[in-house]
Amino acid sequence: MAAAESPSAALRRRDLCSRGIRLAGKMRADVVDLLDAYVEQQGLDASASVAAMEGVPLAAVERWDEQTGTQRLLENLAAYRAFRTLLAQMLEEQREQLGEADAGLGRALAAVLLQVSAFAYHLEELLRLESRGIPGEEGDGPPPPPRLSLFEQKLRGLGVLRELAQWAVRSVRDLRQLGKPSSAAGTAPGLAESP
Amino acid sequence: MRSWGHPKDSGLMANPVPSACCVVLAAVVVVYAQRHSQQDSHIQYERVGADVTMKCGSMDWDAAVTWTANGTDIDESHLNGSYLILKNVDLSQSGQYSCYEGSSWHLKYQTYLRVGTPPKEPVLMCRSNNYPKGFYCSWHLPTPTYIPNSFNISVIHGTKDMVCEKDAIPKNRCHIRYLQLFSTVKYKVTLTVTNALGKNFTTLTFDEFAIVKPDPPESVVAKPVPNNPRRLEVSWQNPSSWPDPESFPLKFFLRYRPLILDQWQHVELSDGTSHTITDAYAGKEYIIQVAAKDNDIGTWSDWSVAVHATPWTEEPKHLTTEAQITETTSASTSSFMAPPTTKICDKGAVVGSGAMAVCWTAGLVVAAYSVLFI
Repeated sequence: MAAAESPSAALRRRDLCSRGIRLAGKMRADVVDLLDAYVEQQGLDASASVAAMEGVPLAAVERWDEQTGTQRLLENLAAYRAFRTLLAQMLEEQREQLGEADAGLGRALAAVLLQVSAFAYHLEELLRLESRGIPGEEGDGPPPPPRLSLFEQKLRGLGVLRELAQWAVRSVRDLRQLGKPSSAAGTAPGLAESP
Repeated sequence: MRSWGHPKDSGLMANPVPSACCVVLAAVVVVYAQRHSQQDSHIQYERVGADVTMKCGSMDWDAAVTWTANGTDIDESHLNGSYLILKNVDLSQSGQYSCYEGSSWHLKYQTYLRVGTPPKEPVLMCRSNNYPKGFYCSWHLPTPTYIPNSFNISVIHGTKDMVCEKDAIPKNRCHIRYLQLFSTVKYKVTLTVTNALGKNFTTLTFDEFAIVKPDPPESVVAKPVPNNPRRLEVSWQNPSSWPDPESFPLKFFLRYRPLILDQWQHVELSDGTSHTITDAYAGKEYIIQVAAKDNDIGTWSDWSVAVHATPWTEEPKHLTTEAQITETTSASTSSFMAPPTTKICDKGAVVGSGAMAVCWTAGLVVAAYSVLFI
């Protein structure tokens, strides 16, 4: 049975969740803009299907409403740590391919990378608040990408940004669940009340 | 006619009339059954504009026959031998066609002709008004076929087939429960419509977020605010079909205008289910509507049912009445302005008798000028 949360901890949690929701919302808007720019600059078809790629965390989840708060935080943290590495790889590839020719896209990628890093830190704060140990990052990141062709790199980048956009929405929903007054991370999930 | 029993024992010979009636009745039943067994068993579907040839069962071409359509004899000009020829059929020619042998009037063939068209590409729509529970798809044909159609729907998510459960009402709708949320994999829905004259299909491909569209807000109420001639208080409720507004909050879009103007004012509200309009024109009836959207994904709902409200007005006194008459006769729709008395009195909260006296004086002055310049 989870210990009752102190009022100050509950307030702090709700505050962190509210700020996290705003961060995730801004991040999502920027990722969507970046996605549009990326598709255009890379000459891709926006409607192209991209198969799931190794190392890219999938936002899709079954029984989302049954997750505990801790599960939500841990899965979010793992995902954004992976995205941090993936975006850094994309930025490097971008510089190699285009050099300074596409500084705008590079800047946009760097800005999103910064937001992803900030959000990962924010999630760590929430985990600390829940007195949960922060999982180490060793072996957490995606494996080093196999040597991909230029086109495969572009498709992978498309997949990364798409999943990141989905994760941003999922994170908003997760934090909203966490921020509910009745919710504390380790307790049983609050199942949605259906009319 | 055969005897049905021993004359001495049964007494039947003493009563021939009942036995004759039984025989006649039996014959009628047999003929009726013969006719209706053929009637129920054969339906013939033909396209509008087709030429239809009906053969009279196993009768030879040169047999003498009579054809009827819905019980009415068909003119011999439509016959080619014993075949019935219907050229360029239209919808009005649907009905029961029967062929009788010439002299005996034995029914030789019967069919129910249904004239129709093959289906055009169906119209398919999918929408999630109860996110994150699931979504529904509904469909219809753009033009009727006039014959029975059957619909088959398939839903694929990635490589997974999903079951779309048919709704009892309406019949042209089915719903799917989400097994996953936040997936980037698209859903592919294919609807096939088939009838006796052909088939057609359509396919929709979409992602989870794109089809999220709540129902309009419910119970929209607009009320005047006492002692505030430029305010209207509007409140509403989340659509009852939205299952979890706490976890999946909605934002709202409110639009309002006075009935006498065409241009809407818009306000977007990120939370709460009420809003106070503060710039209404005094004394004018307003029409107000609200729409809803998930805070993060999807599209706006349709507009709610419109409500009407008029801001609070003070009880008319004789001076005020003249001013309003003046305003009514001089104002036009295209150059409408808020009456000066309202503007002046609206600046800040009107409290105390001193401010009221200023208001009334200003109102009298304006009323006097208005009368002079009519």
